[in-house]
Amino acid sequence: MDIVVSVKTNLDLQMIRIKNREPVLEAIPYKTGDLDKNAVEAALQLRDAVGESKVIVLTVAESNRKVRETIKEVLAMGADEAVLIVDPALESTDQAGVARTLAAALQKIGSYDLVLFGEGSSDDYSGQVGPRVAELLGVPQIGYARQITAGGAGVLVERSMDEYIETLEAPLPAVLTVVSEINEPRIPSLMNIMKAGKKPTEEWSLADLGLDPAAVASSCETLSNLAEEQDRKHIMLEGGAAEQAAGLVNALLKEGIVGR
Amino acid sequence: MEKVDCIIVGGGLAGLSAAYGLASEGLEVMVVERGDYSGAKNVTGGRLYLSPIRDIYPELWESAPFERPVTRELVTLMGDGASTTIELASDRFATAPHQSYTVLRARLDQWLADQVMEKGGMVITKNRVDEILMEGDKVIGIRAGGDDIGADVTIIAEGVLGLLSSKVGLREQPTARDHALGYKEILELPSSVIQDRWHLNEGEGAAHLFMGEVTKGMMGGGFLYTNKDSISLGIVVGMEAMRERTEKVESHTLLDAFKELPHIRPLVEGGTLVEYSAHAIPEGGIAKVPKLFGDGYLMVGDAAGLALNALLTVRGMDFAIASGFYAARAVADAKNRGDCSAAGLAQYEQSLRSSFVLKDLETAKEIPHIMENPRLFTHYPQAVSGLLEKLYTIGPHPSQKLSSTVIGGVRKDFMNARTLKELLAMRKI
Repeated sequence: MDIVVSVKTNLDLQMIRIKNREPVLEAIPYKTGDLDKNAVEAALQLRDAVGESKVIVLTVAESNRKVRETIKEVLAMGADEAVLIVDPALESTDQAGVARTLAAALQKIGSYDLVLFGEGSSDDYSGQVGPRVAELLGVPQIGYARQITAGGAGVLVERSMDEYIETLEAPLPAVLTVVSEINEPRIPSLMNIMKAGKKPTEEWSLADLGLDPAAVASSCETLSNLAEEQDRKHIMLEGGAAEQAAGLVNALLKEGIVGR
Repeated sequence: MEKVDCIIVGGGLAGLSAAYGLASEGLEVMVVERGDYSGAKNVTGGRLYLSPIRDIYPELWESAPFERPVTRELVTLMGDGASTTIELASDRFATAPHQSYTVLRARLDQWLADQVMEKGGMVITKNRVDEILMEGDKVIGIRAGGDDIGADVTIIAEGVLGLLSSKVGLREQPTARDHALGYKEILELPSSVIQDRWHLNEGEGAAHLFMGEVTKGMMGGGFLYTNKDSISLGIVVGMEAMRERTEKVESHTLLDAFKELPHIRPLVEGGTLVEYSAHAIPEGGIAKVPKLFGDGYLMVGDAAGLALNALLTVRGMDFAIASGFYAARAVADAKNRGDCSAAGLAQYEQSLRSSFVLKDLETAKEIPHIMENPRLFTHYPQAVSGLLEKLYTIGPHPSQKLSSTVIGGVRKDFMNARTLKELLAMRKI
């Protein structure tokens, strides 16, 4: 069973600070998507359970440097090969563009039985890319997988819905997105990290996939990306302690913070 | 036990410099850094002297993320209620190649880690080395995250406290007497404001040191370095001096008071605090440099005590980079000869001895003793400022002759047996 896992590299959101209501993005380290690591772990477990399988990690980025650490990390976890789609045109793409790129890459890879995604990325969390890729490839898709077992016609998948668990069966090839509860991603050992650099890694441009930069251009334009402005109420309470306390209670009641 | 050519314990400037040299030679290098990224746990006051290391890795410095070349040097002797500032504006410092640059470690170290990886070295962050593995007197590798990994040579670049190396007896336990505490704030200010406030041309920088009242007379001083869009403002104070002081002070109150001084407040006004950091600094001088190499290991940078506080110039990062460079050369040669024993690595110490690293430390060997004299931080800043204050004062009463003010002041504060003895001692530095 050949399993392809799509992984995304994003900025470490915890390191971003806001200045003049805009995010300061300079010198922010990159991070592998949290749920993407769950997807990699799921693929590794499936590979080891089924045998005769390999795990290919697939990523897209505008520069090689951006994804270098991420690819090293997931290869160190145990993935067998990596395919990087690197093209400057991917700097200003959107979910649709990424999905087109991934679908074209999967067609070039040719043989795959399962394509795994995290249910959403750690930054945008749109949850669109997995389903879009399935649609472009014309294969079945199951979202929110909390357990994946090879068997039946292909795979048996437990889906984590809010109030219940749904069990579905799908023929292969299929696209699955996973939720965090599916597993605990392994932490690679130092030696595995050292060896990760020597695993087979392919790097393709958009042209290698027969894609025009226009095909990945974002259809949306960001007009403004400002942090919410928090303004204080500037209410000064006068008088003695009892008077101030009464004033505070009144103010809180008026705001609906207490006494609802 | 799985094995690599060389393990480097710590991904600061010394470790990364060694890794860069080794990776350039095509050796298999594993740098293990516990921080989230290189530079995450490192602190500098703010300045790297590039002159001594310009010819080491000359290809690197063109693209290095330096902040500003230092073209204005200031030092302030702070007495009680009066201070004297000496400024050096040097045309030579203002002309390229510049001798020193202000830097921010989060940027500089990450960049150097990138250069190491470009050369094929592996920098593994978020992983802590738990132990240095020994076989008799020989270092054979490390233990990290439950795994034992062997190496022909382990380069110890673990930083100032040397916790791993002292645990296995490769150096002494750190003592308060040989260390200072440095702490600082990074305050963000627009580039144009920095240039206006410090009278700088576009892109140029200032370095300003403070002695005396700023540390309440304890060994140490204050510092202020201008970066591109921020300033680094902080204090260094001797740990022993802090401990011995009868009237205890909390270190952070010194920095708060420093910022509130009438001549500092307008400089930092409107600055946004974006980072606060603190670190120990080696101050022991050459007397405290441990054995630099042995069977299967070398010590570099702060871990080897390679830092030099000479009052007006404070250095460490240039020593770190140079020691990493010489360590890489020694390891590459030892690997070529197939001899990673102490004898095979001895070249490392020889290169340090014939380079500025150990020569400058040797030249400055008396400085730690001189700096232990508290009068350097109490009497002298006060005496200089006190005398100048008298000279500038016009009171309601008839003034003294200028010469008698000067002679009187100099006689009272400088021409006494104790001061003469101290000044004589200072010839040694």
